[in-house]
Amino acid sequence: MPSGIRSFSELVVITLGVTCELPETSKNRHTSVKNVFIPVNYCCKLWQEVFLVSPLVYFVQMDRKYFLGTAATLLAGTAVPLKKSYANNNDEELIYRKPPYLENGDSIGITSPAGFTTHMEIQPAMQVLQGWGYKIQLGNTIGKRDFTLGGTDEERINDLQTMLDDPKIKAIMCARGGYGSIRIVDQLNWTKFKLSPKWLIGFSDITVLHNHIHNNFQVASIHSKMTNSFPDDWNTADPIQIETIISIQDALAGKKIKYSVIPNTRNKWGNGEGILIGGNLKTIETLSGSTSDIKTDGKILFVEDTGEYLYSIDRMFWNLKRTGKLKNLKALLVGGFRVKPDDPGEEFGKTLEDIVLEKVNSYTYPVCFDFPVGHQKNNFALKCGVKHRLSVTEKEVTLTEII
Amino acid sequence: MRITIPPYLQKGDTIGMVAPAGFMPIEKMQTCIETLDGWGYSVQMGTTTHSSSQNYFSGTDEERLNDLQQMLDDRKIKAILCARGGYGISRIIDKISFKKFRKHPKWIIGFSDITILHSHIFSNYKIASLHAAMAAAFNDGEFNNPYILSLKDALEGKPAHYECEVHAFNKTGVAKGQLVGGNLSLLAHVTGTGSDVKTRNKILFLEDVGEYLYNIDRLLLQLKRSGKLDRLAGLIIGGFTDNKDTERPFGKSTYDIIYEQVNDYDFPICFQFPVSHSKENYALKIGAKYKLSVTDKVSVLQEI
Repeated sequence: MPSGIRSFSELVVITLGVTCELPETSKNRHTSVKNVFIPVNYCCKLWQEVFLVSPLVYFVQMDRKYFLGTAATLLAGTAVPLKKSYANNNDEELIYRKPPYLENGDSIGITSPAGFTTHMEIQPAMQVLQGWGYKIQLGNTIGKRDFTLGGTDEERINDLQTMLDDPKIKAIMCARGGYGSIRIVDQLNWTKFKLSPKWLIGFSDITVLHNHIHNNFQVASIHSKMTNSFPDDWNTADPIQIETIISIQDALAGKKIKYSVIPNTRNKWGNGEGILIGGNLKTIETLSGSTSDIKTDGKILFVEDTGEYLYSIDRMFWNLKRTGKLKNLKALLVGGFRVKPDDPGEEFGKTLEDIVLEKVNSYTYPVCFDFPVGHQKNNFALKCGVKHRLSVTEKEVTLTEII
Repeated sequence: MRITIPPYLQKGDTIGMVAPAGFMPIEKMQTCIETLDGWGYSVQMGTTTHSSSQNYFSGTDEERLNDLQQMLDDRKIKAILCARGGYGISRIIDKISFKKFRKHPKWIIGFSDITILHSHIFSNYKIASLHAAMAAAFNDGEFNNPYILSLKDALEGKPAHYECEVHAFNKTGVAKGQLVGGNLSLLAHVTGTGSDVKTRNKILFLEDVGEYLYNIDRLLLQLKRSGKLDRLAGLIIGGFTDNKDTERPFGKSTYDIIYEQVNDYDFPICFQFPVSHSKENYALKIGAKYKLSVTDKVSVLQEI
């Protein structure tokens, strides 16, 4: 390759005055490069022979290895190494689709794509969902266990795959988070889901699925409590437990979201409109650089986490910033962070608010702390991939679903 | 890709010592200072090594940045040894000016949180650096062990030749390539940022400390899913010490987890290489070319 060019994706071909970046092929060694235009009137060496490329645009299809050899010769001296744009966070042109909202009698599937759960543990959720008029279809991973996982990878893939493909199932509620979605996300076949989207419901480790379908298929999903958060006894439950569970019912039924939040004195005031996306901060960081990595330009980002040290939260916000995810937001919602106390002598010396604000103080969009999303009782349903308006004033914070 | 190897050290050269991340009391650096002195170098202590900081860091971002910056820019200083890792490089990395350093490269020494500095320098400036023991490793009578002495040899420019015992999970074969790597969590953390490392045709080494088993699984999947394992020349798995497990056990050991994730690749893999947060931590030159040879008798990593 010409000196100074580190990878294939950094080669830029100048064609007829148009600069186009070649496709990223790191995923597949044998990806064939198609539709590559060779510069007009260029003397180039193909297979050891010298051709004078005609004034017509030359159309080639060749495999990568061949192309590289050719491109190196062809582009020597003309290829421009671009500083890789690490912060390509723009997909604002894309249209996000909402799956059909649920009707009375529709079926909701319950599955364990991550941590394991028992039949006993999902009883309260089943009763409530049935009480709302939905049928429940239990996946065969419920009650299965492979150490911390809800069955082997294969079992969890098959169960979720069946639900994604079954046209009778209108929504899939994940039993719980924990860990495991990342182990199966690339093995799932999304063909039928793309054709007839349905609501995926969950949070925490399920952030993997939300972000994956957001980035790849532009389908809306519901970030909310899962079966393990339904109160055992509806009559003795906290009002906030009831309210947050009802927020799932409202979201599934197509009721527009409108939440008011008590203002935190460190909020940044303002208004912002954009598609909502986000989830568990650690999970978002571990998706960086993968096909499930979200683009955040022009969007409202929400993040939450639990049990992390302040230094670790700080590092994760640096990851957001350094991957360009904070720069062009319309708004930032900071949910619950049950912070792990600093070890004695290792005091971090900054609060969560300090950590966030120092990363975003140069931006003008509104920032809301204490947003009711996270590993806590006041964890309301949010629609990822749906347009919202956030308004933050001294007196009031409201998040409203629009369109 | 051509890499610049900073000049090796001569007797009488100056090594700067800084604490760019976590706080460390200067008493704990004493043996390290004396040892470097004994190797024939003079040690210049940065302001962050005798800081009055009361919190986690060895100083404010500005203090840590200025101290490191001054060492990078001072042409008399031929190497910079980071006294300690911890956490803190992420906070200052984008503010460091490498302008003078690029013109007059010098050895940056450290590991753990310093992985970010290594990756950043390798990716952006193609200058070799030293993944090696920091000040604490010299304490408790360890200043003369083979791992500490490997740092001495590295600074003097003696080509490395390390051997390690076979491990049942090893994959035999020979690999040649530039060496990159460091702390697994931090390599994952810089993915997608301006300090990210491209690993194609390289020998990658990984180590970590105090991680949950499920998280090691997740971090490896991140490397895999961001394309960092696909086309390696070879893989070196160091120590994963003081791991933690969740209340509901993960059910696999660290090496089981790693083996499961990398077993399908056909490049050579060496497990249990002495690079870690415990004393088994050979000096490795990030960016330099090495040959990894894994046989059923012994694994050898040598500089070429």
